Amino acid sequence: MTTSDDTRLAMQGTIEALTAGAGSEPVVVNLGPQHPSTHGVFRLKVTLDGEIVQDAEMRIGYLHRSMEKLAEERTYTQNIPFTDRIDYLAAMSNNLAYCLAVEELLGIEVPPRAQAIRVMFAELQRVASHAMANGTFINDCGAWHTPLFHMFRDRERVLDMFEMTCGARLTTNYMRIGGVAFDLPDDLLPTLERYLADMPENIANYEALLLENEILHARARGVGVISPEMAINSSLSGPVLRATGVPWDLRKANPYCGYEQYEFDVPVGERGDCFDRFLVRMAEVKQSLHILRQVVDSLPEGPYLADVPLHARPEPGEAYARVESPRGELGFYLVSDGGPAPYRFHCRPPSLINLSALKEMSIGGTLADAIVTLGSIDIVVGEIDR
Amino acid sequence: MTTRYDAEAAAALVNDAISGAACVDDGDLYLDSTRLVDAVRVLRDGGESDLVFLCNLTAVDYERHFEVVYHLQSLDLNHILTVKARLHDHEDPALPSLTGLFHGAHLQEREVYDLFGIRFDGHPNLQRMFLWDGFPGYPLRKNFLQMPGDVRAGLPGFPHESEENAWPVPGSVPQRPYHPNDPAPPSDVAAVEGEEAS
Repeated sequence: MTTSDDTRLAMQGTIEALTAGAGSEPVVVNLGPQHPSTHGVFRLKVTLDGEIVQDAEMRIGYLHRSMEKLAEERTYTQNIPFTDRIDYLAAMSNNLAYCLAVEELLGIEVPPRAQAIRVMFAELQRVASHAMANGTFINDCGAWHTPLFHMFRDRERVLDMFEMTCGARLTTNYMRIGGVAFDLPDDLLPTLERYLADMPENIANYEALLLENEILHARARGVGVISPEMAINSSLSGPVLRATGVPWDLRKANPYCGYEQYEFDVPVGERGDCFDRFLVRMAEVKQSLHILRQVVDSLPEGPYLADVPLHARPEPGEAYARVESPRGELGFYLVSDGGPAPYRFHCRPPSLINLSALKEMSIGGTLADAIVTLGSIDIVVGEIDR
Repeated sequence: MTTRYDAEAAAALVNDAISGAACVDDGDLYLDSTRLVDAVRVLRDGGESDLVFLCNLTAVDYERHFEVVYHLQSLDLNHILTVKARLHDHEDPALPSLTGLFHGAHLQEREVYDLFGIRFDGHPNLQRMFLWDGFPGYPLRKNFLQMPGDVRAGLPGFPHESEENAWPVPGSVPQRPYHPNDPAPPSDVAAVEGEEAS
């Protein structure tokens, strides 16, 4: 063996030693807390092997405001504005769920007109929230802001109607124990009529723009798949659960505010991937408009607020009331000790619990897919951290 | 419409499988905390209970004891059951974890651990979730930041019901010390000469 052979062998050994570990050394990447795809202050610690996600661990709490502790020091009525700030993209649904829980504690009957108004605003809120969810989801898929701003147009008109009715656009504080704060203003119903007339064409435009879009299919089809069994076991709810094919919607399963009077379908997906979640939200917007049509046509007359004492002291007991918020099952668990403030105030946050399976959805996909998956779950960080 | 699953029926179902693991108190089903996992497995897998969906998991501090509250739902039969477990050790409460039965219990148990300090034995990743490691105390306990002089957290009454905040009697107008209508300036204002107080 010559010296040059020795040198060559030594070099080969060095190269093998250098490359042996390459590709197997995992890299930890922090997504967030300040990252546009996290829709708030949310940090995801991703362990990567090349582009492939090996582990995903979430770190939350950046927006923790200890709502549940604060609520123990405030009266039942004073807590309603807090619920706006829990899920600030669906304040009406949060108001509604909390008021239903207090009404269950107090045993109050809500007048029919108040119930219809509540359904109207809960469904308008769903249209607005899904516009935000779908718009930002497509943003995460790479269609930079054009579809988002088309959908924001629709959301803007809903927020205008909120402003017209209660003076606020995001943190509405509109529902009250026993009804709603104000009756509908005169110009609301004509505005809503125009909105209902315009929306089918807008939705048809979005569908023409997006449903056949090859890039959207490539980014979202088969990404972040979860099986129905796993979804149920992980307590997922809302569009994330329905995209797996489970037709579980609290408006049908446990009707509140007279939802049993209205006719609507529960759209479900087939494959449980990101694209199905997007499709379910698109279909739900159409169903919400269908419900709104029926509410406007059958809006009863009468009082909009029940005769409830301002200083309510419920009997000792507990209540768990829930609604189908745009993100899933939103519940409020209240315990009363007979005092003026809740002894225990707990919000069951769909955004947090829908993240239970985020790790399982992300592992094995690429980093870019993990961002699309997170976008398709539609989280609101204010609700995760409370 | 979601019905309530009868607590007596649920207790009978659990007690048939595990004798003495369940009892009914005031209409609620209480499970023995040492045999909680097996008892909930019976409720989850039993054909007539079918409680496959863990809606909600939270805890309440009753000062002498804790109660961990589970809301279990059947999607096919459409009924809901409230299950409770009572923890008498207020200093160091612990309960078996349900993460083996429900994947959805992971985050909710961590939240309860973070805010109440209830340990869930068998949880794979029991860390603080909203607050940081080493945060002093557990905020949702009633004795967190207890004030001296028997001042308790919470709202004891409506503000107008206490004597010092009583509504003013008719005809009197309450005036604050610095109210502009006060006849004389407040006495504790220092006299000044130029920049110097004299």
